[in-house]
Amino acid sequence: MEIKEVINNGTTLIDIEHIAKIYQMGAEYVHAIRDISLQIKKNDYLAIMGPSGSGKSTLMNIIGCLDTPTKGKYLFKDMDVSEMTDNDLASIRNKEIGFVFQTFNLLARSTTLKNVELPLIYGGYGASLRHEKAMKALVDVGLGDRVNHKPNELSGGQRQRVAVARALVTEPSIILADEPTGNLDSKTGLEIMNLFNELWKAGNTIIVVTHEEEVARFAKRIIKLRDGLIENDSVNHEQRSLIEDSQS
Amino acid sequence: MKINEITENIKIAFEAMSVNKLRSLLASLGVVIGISFVILMGWVLSGLDQALEDTFNIIGTDMLYIDKWDWAGGRNWKKMRQRKNITYSQATEFCEKIKSAELAIPNAREFGYKIKYKNEEYQGMSFIGTKWEHSLTPAGAILIGRHFTQFEDDIGANVIVLGYKVYQALLNDGNPVGHYVKIDGRKFLVIGVIKKQGTMLFDFVDNQCFMPIKAFQSVFGRSGRSVSIAIKAGSIENLDEIRVESEGLMRQIRNIKPGEENDFSINETKAFESTIAVLRLSVWGVGIGMTVLSFIVGIIGIMNIMFVSVTERTKEIGIRKAVGAKKRTIWMQFIVEAAILSFFGAIIAFAGCSALVYLTATFLPEFVPATAFLSPVLPYELLLIASFVSIFVGMLAGVIPAVRAANLDPVEALRREN
Repeated sequence: MEIKEVINNGTTLIDIEHIAKIYQMGAEYVHAIRDISLQIKKNDYLAIMGPSGSGKSTLMNIIGCLDTPTKGKYLFKDMDVSEMTDNDLASIRNKEIGFVFQTFNLLARSTTLKNVELPLIYGGYGASLRHEKAMKALVDVGLGDRVNHKPNELSGGQRQRVAVARALVTEPSIILADEPTGNLDSKTGLEIMNLFNELWKAGNTIIVVTHEEEVARFAKRIIKLRDGLIENDSVNHEQRSLIEDSQS
Repeated sequence: MKINEITENIKIAFEAMSVNKLRSLLASLGVVIGISFVILMGWVLSGLDQALEDTFNIIGTDMLYIDKWDWAGGRNWKKMRQRKNITYSQATEFCEKIKSAELAIPNAREFGYKIKYKNEEYQGMSFIGTKWEHSLTPAGAILIGRHFTQFEDDIGANVIVLGYKVYQALLNDGNPVGHYVKIDGRKFLVIGVIKKQGTMLFDFVDNQCFMPIKAFQSVFGRSGRSVSIAIKAGSIENLDEIRVESEGLMRQIRNIKPGEENDFSINETKAFESTIAVLRLSVWGVGIGMTVLSFIVGIIGIMNIMFVSVTERTKEIGIRKAVGAKKRTIWMQFIVEAAILSFFGAIIAFAGCSALVYLTATFLPEFVPATAFLSPVLPYELLLIASFVSIFVGMLAGVIPAVRAANLDPVEALRREN
């Protein structure tokens, strides 16, 4: 808990130093990430952009603790992720990271509520607390009346909201979204981005991986990757906020 | 392992099985057969045990039988044949002199004669000449009428107590008391029927008739056969003492010099344990082979379907891992699923076997009397054992698929389209 207090003061959440990721494909070695260094602070809103093959998915997997770098150092809240075991990584994913995927990745046979409860089950929460937290997360994303629906009974936008609720439910340190609007029409996509905006304003740290300028425009900071290197890392001075748009 | 995770895993398993009902059924077929073997084998064995106990109860666990023949000694048959008969006078002397026993009665046996009632005729049974005290032993328990009295015994009255099978053959459930039967031309008054006592091991007990020994001798002659002596100890604790006294007394009566072997045997119910042991072993031998074979088939069936399940649910595994499921949790999920699948097979086997066992035990003995020892109800311990075995087999079958699932790379797994 002490650590969180420190981070609330704006200290570094993620500290990546000279990481590289090399895959072996047959006899060839593929350098998905060559050399990337990056710091992400609490309440950052970051968009990672780049064409396919630029290494953005690999970077996302590493930031999300789904994968570990081949070289370099990754500190998450001062913990060395590059040295962690699979179980420690699973534990970090459970407590500290909320994923939102392009294809939603909900469990098809489970209800909305069960899907949102899933991280809490692995977090060891009891049934009643689980239910309470999942309900709150669903209400927060505007799906309080859809808790007993299965994913195939929901629209794409609603499914992505369920995914966001699932990402939020453990109150993670970062929300990591991979092309969150990729499978949605532009109107629904905007709704989801608006939701991210609200979450960011509420104090969450958000990382969005995208190749769409439209999506990246919402972020406070935009990183552009090319060939496994950071091509550009800059503050987005024209940050778009849909809430303000609709007010004006 | 947290309770949360276990209950979650059980729910997942049921969900997965309900999606593929037919497939689950087919996958567990091997286990169904394997568990059926376990259950049926256990059922037969427990029936045998019960038969043994019933046999003990008829012969009486506190009974000793002095005989020319050793009950357990099939191998020494030639040697026993050379033994001198135990004569009626030796038996009588023994019965008079033995002190520690509650009862000691001579039993003479004769085969090969017919018994006639009106136009009915029956053979293949044996006649026992005995004393009135026979009515005090478990073998002399009466179903209808009475046993013969001391007076009838003393005068050698021509009265007879029928064994259950003989009674059925001659009178077919009618009241036998007061009717006359003919044995070798002589009339005997039927005074009672012995309780049905036969078990698979001891089915001849219902196929014998009892009469006072004097009457027996007047029909079949005094000599030419070996008489056995039934000794009732009164309690199992007295058995050792009585065995020692009996041996000494019998050696003395039969003039056996010190250092010479006994030329008689002291039999007790223990002798039947070895007979049962052989039967048990043969049931095991056949059963265990079939069981192992079908469990191997069962394990392969479940393992195969679990591999399919892991492949089909790779994406799901990826999602679960992404939100924090540890390797151990995923591993457990598939182990639990395999165990439940197998247990589900066991339940089918329970149901099937219960019906089979009930029908077999109800109807088969009518055609094959030797199977009368089988119980129509499965012992619950057996169901418990079968449950554990099935769960164990399922877990065994699930190990390799579960390890494969647990070791899936989350990035790869999430990339899958299914």
